[in-house]
Amino acid sequence: MKRLKRKKQNAGVGVNGNGSVTREPDCGRKQKLAEIHQALISDPVDIETLRRAAASKGGLLTDELRRKVWPKLLNINVYDLPYKPGRDVREKHKDYNQVVLDVRRSMKRFPKGMPAAERAVLQEQMTDIILEVLKRTPQLHYYQGYHDVAVTLLLVVGERMALAMLDTLSNHHLRDFMDPTMDSTKHILNYLMPILEQVDEELHDFMIRAEVGTIFALSWLITWYGHVLSDFKHTMRLYDFFLASHPLMPIYLAATIVLHREKEVKKTECDMAMVHHLLSRIPQDLPYELLIGQAQDLFDQYPPSLLAKQAALQSRKSLSISTFQAFQFATLHQRPDSVLQRLTKAQGSTTSRQASQHSGLEAALPRDRGQMWGKGNRMVKMAVWGLSATLGAAVFAVAQTAMDWGPEVLLQLF
Amino acid sequence: MAIEKKPEDEFDTVFSQNDSLELSSHHDYVTAQTRIFKIIVIGDSNVGKTCLTYRFCGGTFLKNPEATIGVDFRERTLELDGESIKLQIWDTAGQERFRKSMVEHYYRSVHAVIFVYDVTSLSSFESIPEWIEECRRHCVGPLVPRIMVGNKCDLRDRREVPTTAAQCLADSYNFPLFETSAKEPAEKEHVDAIFLTLAYRLKSHKPLRLKQPSESNIRQLWNQREQEAATCQC
Ligand SMILES: Nc1nc2c(ncn2[C@@H]2O[C@H](COP(=O)(O)OP(=O)(O)OP(=O)(O)O)[C@@H](O)[C@H]2O)c(=O)[nH]1
Ligand SMILES: [Mg+2]
Repeated sequence: MKRLKRKKQNAGVGVNGNGSVTREPDCGRKQKLAEIHQALISDPVDIETLRRAAASKGGLLTDELRRKVWPKLLNINVYDLPYKPGRDVREKHKDYNQVVLDVRRSMKRFPKGMPAAERAVLQEQMTDIILEVLKRTPQLHYYQGYHDVAVTLLLVVGERMALAMLDTLSNHHLRDFMDPTMDSTKHILNYLMPILEQVDEELHDFMIRAEVGTIFALSWLITWYGHVLSDFKHTMRLYDFFLASHPLMPIYLAATIVLHREKEVKKTECDMAMVHHLLSRIPQDLPYELLIGQAQDLFDQYPPSLLAKQAALQSRKSLSISTFQAFQFATLHQRPDSVLQRLTKAQGSTTSRQASQHSGLEAALPRDRGQMWGKGNRMVKMAVWGLSATLGAAVFAVAQTAMDWGPEVLLQLF
Repeated sequence: MAIEKKPEDEFDTVFSQNDSLELSSHHDYVTAQTRIFKIIVIGDSNVGKTCLTYRFCGGTFLKNPEATIGVDFRERTLELDGESIKLQIWDTAGQERFRKSMVEHYYRSVHAVIFVYDVTSLSSFESIPEWIEECRRHCVGPLVPRIMVGNKCDLRDRREVPTTAAQCLADSYNFPLFETSAKEPAEKEHVDAIFLTLAYRLKSHKPLRLKQPSESNIRQLWNQREQEAATCQC
């Protein structure tokens, strides 16, 4: 990649805050783990450090940490999660049929060895959380690919936290894709060519001549690459990055991928079909860490505001972009989980929502789930993701609920 | 070049290695004389557009298709009467929101259109006139050949669209109708035949199109060709 110089100073409230880590000395996994833990118990939570950790080499490292950090990145209180959607969520929703068709065809998103019964439970949950988010905010419209986001969240954080995260993402990062039409999505895609133009004019001109358009990057953008990557660990790594970044970051990453393949592209016949074909098939062995660093550099060097001066980008207002700063700002004032737990508990005991002797978290559970929990202690011990391969579907559903609570809750209970 | 997805993971594989097509396929070393035809495949979500195009280009039934987002591209090169013909097939997303602003780019300069419905879904059949209208709105000229394909005819006891009704609609637009199945192995040749019919038609009429013949002339030739070609075998 040419002409990529780093800007030293990052401006703005956290917007560019994730830009500075890639060149820091790699202080090792252990230290990173310690830093993340420290950031999580700081009061307020040290969101800048978490964001940096999510973007820097290796991302958030483990699923357990993802379950703790992802909600923080989205300003979600894990002790006050939404209830599991009821059956009625499926009734008479205009997108119900399309959601079911897409969820049914999402088999490839699940781990290879997962028993069919477990997958079926997760697919039901996937349908439920999608429809619940759509029902809560009627302005949001389902798109094919949204289910790829839902399944990624679900596999990492479990049903209720996935629901909370999907809800937040839908109103912020993914908001533009959920308009009644795809015009806003097209607008976001329009940022791609100006970035390429800045870095490699020759490549840019080649692509313009080929009239390839930007649809090859559509599924990358609207699924955060979940639809096109076959290795789930890469998908999670990118989700770490995007959850900690500006909503346009997937476009900057798209630019780095195209730039990374510059030679291949220029060798291709200058024809729409040929170039589309080449670019839309993402190589599975991309150097993700390198590309993530480059995407951050591009973002710092050519921020959206600079690109927006281009004629094609002026006409339209993006909700994802315009609400981002306020969103980022709100994440700065989060309390650590220990405090949230106490606060939620106190709140729970003063309201009619029954508080349990276990923790305030119980208050966020629907009644029947709480009962299951009481009966299911022994089973829930096995509930850590990955151990569930031999469990039946019903047990698995319980395990999922337990997972919603996060590992430290499990530890406290046993 | 970087390693691509393994074939079994590949959603939009163009050719599988064990391509069992009878027709000789020249994959990489396409000669200069190869003529290229662009075909767009449209129809409601879940009718089997991805499976049909995969069956034709990859030779097998795609077991776990995923929802198509935007458009996928597949191609296959055929040898017809000693001439090399490359069919470039654009497999589009069925969800309505994608048609409006995303797919229009791909209507440009298409040589043929395939409308697909699912014989087990009346609503997918009822959408066909809408798709036809959509296509017209995107300025696809009247001389661009169009065909109608009813898919999933292996599901005999779930059929909702009678052949007679489909034939009636197809006749009203003067489109050839084919009923087939992307899944049923016995239908493999038939799927090939559908695309081949189109390829023959495009191959033999390309010069005529350049000379701007009258439409009735084209129709006549088209109908003639159609009678020679495979008809419904379901
Ligand atoms: N029985 C049967 N099932 C089929 C056939 N063709 C496709 N299917 C199934 O129908 C479903 C939809 O197939 P797709 O090819 O994904 O449909 P599509 O038209 O590409 O859908 P979108 O990408 O959403 O527009 C899948 O579950 C396929 O397995 C067929 O000929 N027979
Ligand atoms: Mg499809």
